[in-house]
Amino acid sequence: MFRTADTNAPGSDELLLNRVGQRDPQAMTQIFDRYAGLVFSIALRVLKDPGQAEDVVQEIFTQIWQRPGAFVSSKGSLGAWLVVVARNRAIDLIRRRRPTDSLEDHVITSKVNIASEVERTTLMQKVRTALDTLPSEQRLSVELAYFDGLTQTEIAERTGDPLGTVKTRIRLALISLRRALQA
Amino acid sequence: MKGGTHISQDDLALYAMRSLGPEETASVRAHLEVCEECRKELAMFEDDLIALAVSTEPHEMPAHVRQRFVDSIGGISSTAAPGPARAESPSVITMHPRRAAVWIPWAAAAAMAVTAGGLAVRNHALDERLAQEAQRNVSLTGQNAYAERVVQVLTARDAQHVVLTTAKTPPMPTGRTTYLARTGELIFQGSNLASLPPGKAYELWLIPADGSASIPAGTFRPDAQGNASLVFPKLSAGVAAKAFGITIERAEGSPTPTLPIVLAGSDRPAGE
Repeated sequence: MFRTADTNAPGSDELLLNRVGQRDPQAMTQIFDRYAGLVFSIALRVLKDPGQAEDVVQEIFTQIWQRPGAFVSSKGSLGAWLVVVARNRAIDLIRRRRPTDSLEDHVITSKVNIASEVERTTLMQKVRTALDTLPSEQRLSVELAYFDGLTQTEIAERTGDPLGTVKTRIRLALISLRRALQA
Repeated sequence: MKGGTHISQDDLALYAMRSLGPEETASVRAHLEVCEECRKELAMFEDDLIALAVSTEPHEMPAHVRQRFVDSIGGISSTAAPGPARAESPSVITMHPRRAAVWIPWAAAAAMAVTAGGLAVRNHALDERLAQEAQRNVSLTGQNAYAERVVQVLTARDAQHVVLTTAKTPPMPTGRTTYLARTGELIFQGSNLASLPPGKAYELWLIPADGSASIPAGTFRPDAQGNASLVFPKLSAGVAAKAFGITIERAEGSPTPTLPIVLAGSDRPAGE
C-alpha cells in the first residue's frame, strides 16, 4: 500500500538510530526534527490541549534517546511506530490512566515510510480525500474510536446504534480507506 | 468474538486501536501468537490506522519544545537560543516637585540643542544613504547581467550537463530545485532521468509548508541524455515550500500527484 523506506540511504532513520545508540545528540535532534511535528499534531488532535501534547512529545523522544532499543525491537518503520505510540500515549492520557505498557510493547510491523515530507503530505491528502467519500456514520465511528479513544460501547451509547453496527462501521471505514489508497 | 477459527475483522480492527476490553485483548493476543493469517490481517488494519493518523491537520509545534528537548539531551540547537535577559537596572528619576520649575528653561534649551544636532545627523545620514543607493544601483545592474548569464547557461540547448559522482557509481536520477518563495520563481534542473513512454511526462510538485494541497509546478520530458529543466513555471508568490516532489503523469499534467514519487527533496532545517 505504501512505499517502504530505504534503510541504507544517508540520513535514513536506521542510520540515525544507530548513531543515537552511540549517544550522538545531533542524530537524535535530526530524528526529533523529522517527526516531532507529526507526533505533536497527532497528540494534539487526541488531547486538544497543547500543553499535554508537548508532554507526549517530550516523553516519547526522551525515551528514544534513553532507550533506542525500544524501537529496534520493533520490525516496522520508525515513523509508523511513532505514529502508533503518539496516538496510544495520548489516548492513555484522556482515559486518565497510567501507561500500562512500555514503549517496547508497541511492536508493529508496518513499514509505511513517512520520513519524507513529500510522502507524508501526499498520504495525508489522499487519506483526507478518501475520508470525505466515506458515509458520515462510518467516518464518525472510526474517528470517535481512534482519535477520541471511545470504546465501541461508548460510541453505541453516543450514537444510539447497536454495538454490532458500530463495530461493522469501523471495520468498513478502514477497509474503504485501504481500497481508496490502493486505487 | 471469533468467526470460525479466526478472529473476526471487526475485532482485529478494534484490537489494532486498543479498543477491546482486557479479556478480549488477551484472547486476541493469544490467537495472534499462533495464527499468521490473523497477524497479516492485523498488519493491514495497522497500516490503515497509521494512514488515518497521518491525515491529522499539521500544527506548528512551539519552538520552546524543541529547545527543551535539545537541552535535555545535551545537543546543539540549530535555532538561535534566546539571549540572556538584559541586565539593565531600571532608570529611576527622582525629582523633588518643588524644584522641578527651576529646570524647565534649561531643559528647553537642551531639547533645542538636541533637536538641532539630530537634524544635522539626519542630514548627514541621508547623504550617506543616497551614496549607498547609487552604489547599490551599480551593483544591481551587475547582478542582473550576472543572473541573465546564469539562466542562459542553465537553459542553453547546447549546454553540457555533467553530474559528478563517485567513480564507478551508476548515474542516478537527480533533480535540483531553486525556489524563491517571496516571488514564486523557480528553476529546476534534472539529470539522468529515465525516458518516458509517449503520452507521459514528469510533473514537479511544490509541497506547501502550511500543509495545504500539493501545487503543480510544471511538466517536462527529459532529452535523449536524460536532462531536463523548468524555468520560472507559473507559481503564485509568497507560498513557502517545505518540499518538492516529482511524479509521472499524463503529458498534459494532473491536478493531484500520482504515486509513486520518483524524486523528492525537502527543505531541511539548518544543521541536518
